[in-house]
Amino acid sequence: MTRKQKKQCKMILLEVIMVILALVYIYPVYLMFINSVKPFGEVVADVIALPKVIEWQNYKDVIDKMNYGKLFLNNVVITTIGIIGIVAFSSATAYILDRRPGKYTRIAHLLVITPMLIPFQTIMITLLKVMNVIHLTGSTWGLGIQYWGFGIPMATFIYCNFMKTIPKEIDESAFIDGASTAKTFTSVIFPLLKSVTATVVVLDVMWIWNDFLLPLLMVNSSPKTKTLVLSAYTFVGQFNTQWHYAMTAMVLAVLPSILFFILLQKNIVEGVVAGAVKG
Amino acid sequence: MQLGRKKKQTIETVLYTLPAIILVTVMMYIPFVMSGYYSLTEWNGIAKEPVFIGFDNFITLFSKGSDFAKSLIFTARYTVVFMIVANVFALALAVILVKKLRTANILRGIFFVPYIMSMTIVGFIWKFIFSQGFAKMFEMTGLEFLNLSWLGDPKLAFYSVAFVGIWQSVGFYVVLYIAGLQAVPSDVLEAATVDGANGPAKFFRVTLPLLGPSITTCIFMSLTNSLKVFDIILALTKGGPGGSTYSVTLDIYREAFQNNNYGLGAAKSLVFFLIILVLTQLVLKGSRNKEVDI
Repeated sequence: MTRKQKKQCKMILLEVIMVILALVYIYPVYLMFINSVKPFGEVVADVIALPKVIEWQNYKDVIDKMNYGKLFLNNVVITTIGIIGIVAFSSATAYILDRRPGKYTRIAHLLVITPMLIPFQTIMITLLKVMNVIHLTGSTWGLGIQYWGFGIPMATFIYCNFMKTIPKEIDESAFIDGASTAKTFTSVIFPLLKSVTATVVVLDVMWIWNDFLLPLLMVNSSPKTKTLVLSAYTFVGQFNTQWHYAMTAMVLAVLPSILFFILLQKNIVEGVVAGAVKG
Repeated sequence: MQLGRKKKQTIETVLYTLPAIILVTVMMYIPFVMSGYYSLTEWNGIAKEPVFIGFDNFITLFSKGSDFAKSLIFTARYTVVFMIVANVFALALAVILVKKLRTANILRGIFFVPYIMSMTIVGFIWKFIFSQGFAKMFEMTGLEFLNLSWLGDPKLAFYSVAFVGIWQSVGFYVVLYIAGLQAVPSDVLEAATVDGANGPAKFFRVTLPLLGPSITTCIFMSLTNSLKVFDIILALTKGGPGGSTYSVTLDIYREAFQNNNYGLGAAKSLVFFLIILVLTQLVLKGSRNKEVDI
């Protein structure tokens, strides 16, 4: 064998090993999927075998029992409200912080960014009290608004880093044309921030959609306001011996994230990298 | 006229930043300051007024055999294991996945899938695998390790929890390391080859030092994420068996919302804040010093 052939052999071997490793790695997720369409008896008898018949009844039952449509809608409402607020407030704040250097903006910058250092668990006890006082608990829109406070520090930080790279001449020429600050921001600057906005949206959708502890504290008291993950948590706890229902509920809870990932894989990976490196 | 414009600008500056400042103050600063106050009181959340008791809560925290001390030890062990294994494994995977494999893109996607799933659900999936899945696999293969009580034995439960935590998030670190590896300039590597460096030497002497910023990011992220571990444990073991997987965050949660000791819970949460703050600053400083520039 020549050196080149030897190298090619090595690459093929490496590829085979990696494919096997990846299949083993993802095997638990596969098991969740196949067991979610088995009747109860089959799950108990053999969790590994493929289902003999596909039991869609599991899905009908669980969607009904969990009130899945409502839960899904709750998640959409919470995530949408959260994202819109975080993007709007953070980008506007970062714009002014970067373009109007001075004593006030220096202090404002510090004030907005510093909370990145405070872990959620440190404030959660008293947060619940404060949120009760201002009536943001027990509703999906209230929870969505709460995410503004927690998302803004990191998002502003990411936006600020990017604002520095946008030349000031761009807004100056807009001013000369007679545009107001608001107009300059919305129609000139914000479109230029598109790639950072994508990063912020990806990171925050993944975070808010899957978040557990904050919804547990704020919206767990009524089935009408629960989130998908929260409800799946309760449901699996209730049906912890009826694995077929538990599996179905788990698939239903993660399926939106998996589809989101398959559709936007490239953007998600880019967003995660950009967010981590800048954060 | 000139003065009027300046005044208008100042008002504008305040108006644009005020919403963010108010939100952050209400959600973060006010609760933080309140935690500071309640940590000095005895208060069950419902009854009348909190009673001021000075630093008694902090003394209780560190008294011998307290749950908090145990949870600190678990969290420390978890963090060390998580940081080392996740980073080494992720870096190894990344090094392979930047090679020109035909399936590289799909493989990257597969390793990333657990990361986009909710950690609570990941915990449940593995609970199912550890019980039902392993039982069946043992029946089929007779491999002894499948017959162990991975969640029931206090010693093994620690490793199960750490394993699941790592399984969930390795994909995230792989992606970061891949980005770092792709940024290593190829001419530097070629120069090293010309100078006669072999594979391992090239990796440890050239690639690894140039990977500094990625390593810093990954170590920082793995540190804060593992210190805050909560969802996975709640779904997998609820802190058991016998408190062997009882994390600091779980302890804070229990103390406040199940035992209704808000004062003591607040004290714990402040100690937790200080620990995270000190550790992250130390790690950042330590690893930034080791970074090299070209």
